[in-house]
Amino acid sequence: MRSRTLLLVFAATLFATTMATAQRGGGGGGGRGAALAARQSAPIDLTGYWVSMITEDWKLRMVTPGKGVYDALVLNPAGRKAADSWDPAADEKSGDLCKGYGAPALMRLPTRLHVTWENDNTLRVEADTGTQTRMFYFGAAAPPAGEPSLQGRSVAQWELAAGQRGQPAAGNLKVTTTNLKAGYIRKNGAPYSDKTTVTEFFDLHALPNGDQWISITTRVDDPAYFSRTMTNTTDFKKLPNATGWNPTPCSAR
Amino acid sequence: MDKALRHRIIGLAFLFAVMLLSIPAFAQPARPAVPTDIIGEWRLENNEDDTTAQPPLGDYTGIPFNDAGRMRSDTTPESIWGTPEYQCRPHSAPHQWRGLGGARILKEQDPLTREASVYHIQFMRSLDRPIFMDGRRHPPAWAPHTWTGFSTGQWIGNTLKITTTHLKDGYLKRGGPQTSDMYSMTEYLTRHVDILSIVTVIDDPIYMEEPYVHSTTYAYDPTSVVNTETCNASAFAENGGTNRHWVPHFLPGQNKAWTEWLKNEPWVPEVAVRGGAKTIYPEYRSTLNGGSLAALNVPISKSAFAVNQRVQSQSPKDGQVHVMPVQGNIYMLVADGVNIAASIGPDGVMLVNTGTAEMSQKVLTTLNELVNNVMASPAPNRCFGTRCPGTWGWSSPYVNAVINSPATPKPIRYIANTSGSAEHIGGNEKLASSGFFPRGGGFGSAVANPGRAASIVAHENVLVRMSTTTGKAAPAPAAAAMPTDTFFDELHKMPNFVNGEAVIFYSAPAANTDGDSLVFFRGSEVIAAGNVFSTVSYPVIELDKGGSIQGVIAGLNKILDLAVAEYRSQGGTLVIPGHGRLSDTADVASYRNMMVMIHDRIKDMVDKNMTLAQVKAARPTMDFDGRYGSTTGAWTTDMFLEAAYRSIKEKK
Repeated sequence: MRSRTLLLVFAATLFATTMATAQRGGGGGGGRGAALAARQSAPIDLTGYWVSMITEDWKLRMVTPGKGVYDALVLNPAGRKAADSWDPAADEKSGDLCKGYGAPALMRLPTRLHVTWENDNTLRVEADTGTQTRMFYFGAAAPPAGEPSLQGRSVAQWELAAGQRGQPAAGNLKVTTTNLKAGYIRKNGAPYSDKTTVTEFFDLHALPNGDQWISITTRVDDPAYFSRTMTNTTDFKKLPNATGWNPTPCSAR
Repeated sequence: MDKALRHRIIGLAFLFAVMLLSIPAFAQPARPAVPTDIIGEWRLENNEDDTTAQPPLGDYTGIPFNDAGRMRSDTTPESIWGTPEYQCRPHSAPHQWRGLGGARILKEQDPLTREASVYHIQFMRSLDRPIFMDGRRHPPAWAPHTWTGFSTGQWIGNTLKITTTHLKDGYLKRGGPQTSDMYSMTEYLTRHVDILSIVTVIDDPIYMEEPYVHSTTYAYDPTSVVNTETCNASAFAENGGTNRHWVPHFLPGQNKAWTEWLKNEPWVPEVAVRGGAKTIYPEYRSTLNGGSLAALNVPISKSAFAVNQRVQSQSPKDGQVHVMPVQGNIYMLVADGVNIAASIGPDGVMLVNTGTAEMSQKVLTTLNELVNNVMASPAPNRCFGTRCPGTWGWSSPYVNAVINSPATPKPIRYIANTSGSAEHIGGNEKLASSGFFPRGGGFGSAVANPGRAASIVAHENVLVRMSTTTGKAAPAPAAAAMPTDTFFDELHKMPNFVNGEAVIFYSAPAANTDGDSLVFFRGSEVIAAGNVFSTVSYPVIELDKGGSIQGVIAGLNKILDLAVAEYRSQGGTLVIPGHGRLSDTADVASYRNMMVMIHDRIKDMVDKNMTLAQVKAARPTMDFDGRYGSTTGAWTTDMFLEAAYRSIKEKK
């Protein structure tokens, strides 16, 4: 009988300990960390102005390559067929100027970003090119999926990093975007479909010269037009202010 | 003990134990204590054109090149790989993550803590690259540079930050865009499930307007195998026919092929392919519609270091003597910016050069300490009891060994002078008179050895120059500083082994002066190059003492003929320059290549009857000035240009 009592005491203590630990964790994005809002539990600060540095694939990003240039893409035959039918004039005529500015492609464009907290659990990411806005929803903040859209529905979570006791928190942001409207992965008409899922990892690095950079590792899965997952990394440098912020409308070319 | 009491005690102990367990759980952040595992086989998994394809000739898009970087890259063809010294060159560090063949990451553990002490990264066309995680410092600036450099790592959360210094010059991308040997590289490796993201920062202010950042990704793939590309090239100049010293290069403006690729990619504006910081910011697009590139204002970042300081730190003028072990018997002493080579062994000490007169006492003090440490340090007795062999049999060898002091090291026996330059002979008198040459009198007897001093060996023109007043301020050196033994042939062998190895002098006629020589320690595989080679300046060419740019190039080629790399164009024979860091064949080749390029550029201008002023205005050394040039001090770029111009013009 006494042994049973001891066991109960032990179980109760263990339960209390576990609960407390889970609540203090605060991480894990939308899952177990309900106690702290995403803003408070952020291991890295992504807010501010950022500029994309076109040090990679310059000739495929800074300028729109010619029709049929699919270098580095993973289009399957259906994707190529769709890409080969690219008609920017038709897009202009129909008012579809922003098809190359959807979530799978936006970060790869030459742009500045302005990142702010929309509320405690929603990160707002504005791009001056094409005047696009993406919303990253943490946990329960994500609204129900509505109509598919250019920027889709992005669910975010902090991924807390390993580290030693006593070190400041570290980690990265993971964003998964679905519910997308079909668009162009490259502005020359290379397509992605509305079945596309985008997974992004945002890492923050402090460079030796004092600069801060975000590196975004992006994986784009499109069962309709891609032969396999497309992976790349895109880099942004932090700016001290809004100088250079230059909202420009979408362009089909 | 009462049963109830016992249960109560056990219960309380149990509760206490649970509470103890709970405390750390509350105190710790909710993250694992061990960083992400990055070891294993990784496959390049990146859908970026710049990663998967070799850029065409002249494609510098996305690179924040300055004018020097462009000029260096335009004039360096890929066929430079055909030279004997570069045939086994691995990919340069900035390109490694983007080369084909995958990557392997291994881990060495501390046996007690099991923490990673060293990571090793290997690529197909690379050497093993250790990343030291044990907190060690980077080597001094006068230590050798390698293709993969010296790397230390630090975990920052889930990211492994790697800092790399001591890199050789190379290329950013296979096929063209060049780097200097002064850049630093910082990498950030972060694992996301099965993807490894690598951000690389190349900070090369000699060739770039701001640090160059790019990134790539690998996928974890335990089934992949990273092959090793061994080098079995026949070390023969592929492009120069029978001329093993041939250096392929373009004269400035001669490379007309760099826009050919635009025929296949006509949407790319020609001006953009030249790179530059302004072209990599989004606002560059405003110039595509006629905006002015010159007027464009972008938030350029600065380098993390002062490049002039970094160059000069290889040869610090700090009034100190720094010691760097080289290999075999040889040590390099960096004495207030002047290098001295020292062979230390059972025969005593042989020096190559003696530094300035002002530093001679410090050199002597440091040398004595070094020799004592090397030759006469007390060591634990490893031989005792009846099993200890010895001439005297059983006579307490254990005790004798413990109570005996080590033998006094032998003194300086020989001093070699590679030239008559004051910075290399200034310590002759003091150091020679501290030494002892048993035969006295000098074995060549060019000048009577004044007493029981070390023998001083040099080319006879060094003695001639030292004995002849120049009519200027410099007083003639004291007799005790003069070479006691001279030679006049193309080579001169020391008559006996010194410290167990052959030491051979090779004359470098008409190089910096008419008396230069190289000193080759054949067993240790070390060449003391004197002023023929420097890693901190253009060569000092004294026309009035018989120097010429052609002679410097010939001297450098002589070094390359003697030297052999250990593996993949690095290590092996080590070369001690007159000034600057300890080097190897690839470093000498790089310097030789530069000298040939500069020579040919100036010769082309001389052939076009350009005046010295016109040559200077044309800046034929522009792409090297940030690395080796100077506008102040005893040897400026202008002085070098004039010396090169005159030696070419006079030879014409």
